[in-house]
Amino acid sequence: MSLNLGSLIRTSLLYAALSIVALLVLLPLLFALSLSVQGPTLSPTLLPDFSKLDWSSFQDVFREEPNLTRWIVNSFVVSLAVTLGQLITSALAAYALANIDFPGKPFFFFVFLGSLMIPWESTIIPNYLTITRLGWKDSYQGLIIPFMASGFGVFLLRQHFKAIPRDLYEAAVLDGCSSTRYLWSILVPLSRPALATLAVYTFLNTWNQYYWPLLIIDSPEWRTTQIGITAFRSSEVTIYNLQMASTIIVMLPTLILLVLGQRQLVSGLTAGALKG
Amino acid sequence: MLLKDSVLLDERVTLPIATKRVVSQHQQRKAFGLALLYFSPALLFLIAFTYIPFLRSIWLSFFITNPQGDTVRFNAINYYTRILNLDGSGRTEYLRSMLTTVYFSLLVVPLGIVFALALALLATLNIKAIMFFRTIFTSSIAISVASASVIWALIYSPTTRATQWIIDLLHLNTHSLLQHSSTALFAVAFMTTWTSLGFNFIVTLAGIQAIPKDIYESARIDGASNWQSFRFITLPLLTPTLLFLMLISTIQSFQAFTQFNVLIGNEGPDSATDVFVFAIFTAFWKDNRYGFASAMSVVLFLILLALTSIQYRLLDQRVHYQ
Repeated sequence: MSLNLGSLIRTSLLYAALSIVALLVLLPLLFALSLSVQGPTLSPTLLPDFSKLDWSSFQDVFREEPNLTRWIVNSFVVSLAVTLGQLITSALAAYALANIDFPGKPFFFFVFLGSLMIPWESTIIPNYLTITRLGWKDSYQGLIIPFMASGFGVFLLRQHFKAIPRDLYEAAVLDGCSSTRYLWSILVPLSRPALATLAVYTFLNTWNQYYWPLLIIDSPEWRTTQIGITAFRSSEVTIYNLQMASTIIVMLPTLILLVLGQRQLVSGLTAGALKG
Repeated sequence: MLLKDSVLLDERVTLPIATKRVVSQHQQRKAFGLALLYFSPALLFLIAFTYIPFLRSIWLSFFITNPQGDTVRFNAINYYTRILNLDGSGRTEYLRSMLTTVYFSLLVVPLGIVFALALALLATLNIKAIMFFRTIFTSSIAISVASASVIWALIYSPTTRATQWIIDLLHLNTHSLLQHSSTALFAVAFMTTWTSLGFNFIVTLAGIQAIPKDIYESARIDGASNWQSFRFITLPLLTPTLLFLMLISTIQSFQAFTQFNVLIGNEGPDSATDVFVFAIFTAFWKDNRYGFASAMSVVLFLILLALTSIQYRLLDQRVHYQ
């Protein structure tokens, strides 16, 4: 009896400790939520008045900033296009590196891997000049084309393709399967977890991109969500509820992605961390 | 056409040796053509947007450029000597901004690891709802640095008074932690720790879970306390993971830009937050000095290369270790 009581107290203490820590971790998000439901006040408090929560900011922000919908569309178009593009180019290249024996393979593998050593900051100035000269500022192609391939994606998929037994390939070829069909109808379905990992990781990274769109976007309607909310913040410095509402709205897609694809996200991020 | 012919040739297995060599060369060409077909899309994009721009950065760093980004005059290594203060002018602002970057990572990295370790230890508790808490601890990986910056800008803002108690406690003569030269860098570092908390947590948790359970079991039988288990089993076996995390966070903190641009937006109080990446941005974006900014980005590349090579060596060790 006393043992039971002891373990009951112990368990509830553990829950209390975990809840307090969870609350601390979530504090900035709760702070944002709290400010967003306090109405257009100039002196927000840390805790809202729970008797009159004002959720209208989540509607008003779309009226106050008519471009917000456009920013969300932009971010979706760019993130989906980059994700799809990287999946295709990475899968094709990974297939060549994993399944075809061709002269010079170590060299090309090194070229793909070596691109991970070059930090984004060391390429950004010439890339900016190129995109400007092409007249691609304020355009989807300017936001998408530079990110259509990634050495990380090639490397990740190559590892998975290599893990699939080569006998399968030889058997398929004996049965008259062409190499393209082998990639499409055997390798891709078998590597779905790896492809999902790459997809979730790429989508998240592209959605959260800040530096590049900051450089090549001038007009408000071409902004992505990240540039949009930071610009909105500097133009509407004192409208706290709308600032926080817009921030929460653009966080939702990635938060949903976290809940739905936590496993893929985690494995993608830990693998992605290997690049410099 | 050629491809079709060679397929036919392949099937004739019993060829004299002399012809065989010719065929195999032919086959090799065929394999190369096929491989090229598959990897050229990725390769072309990487060459166009990674390799060529990188080489062009190096090229530009030796020239004075006009505002359109064309090279105007050869400048030899003058930009490099200027950055590293080897020109004897005594202007050390770029060396100082490198030092600021080092300070910044010295704040971010230890804080990040201590928090991650604490959360990961809590997340190994054997209770029912632990998955729920793990998701909460991971949540910040889904939050962009830009969103986090907008939120933390208000946390540090004098109107919400959320951090007023720290200002009072330290008797600072300022309205916001971000506006005082002695606290601004720390304020940005603390916010950065929060944004990377989810990632650090998940890596540390994976490291702890990889430690075999039977080691703890036998330690308990031998009468080891919880603290002793942590001190003599968890910590030593987790060291490779923590070292790995340390390097990753160092590299990331060297590249941090968004939070500085949103929270501070310029040089900051007494240049206290003028990190190297922000100095590159200033030279590139605000002053349009493309050659000079390129030289700085090459210096950054060399620093990151050094850090990355340490990281790979460490990873090698970790593989041997296990």
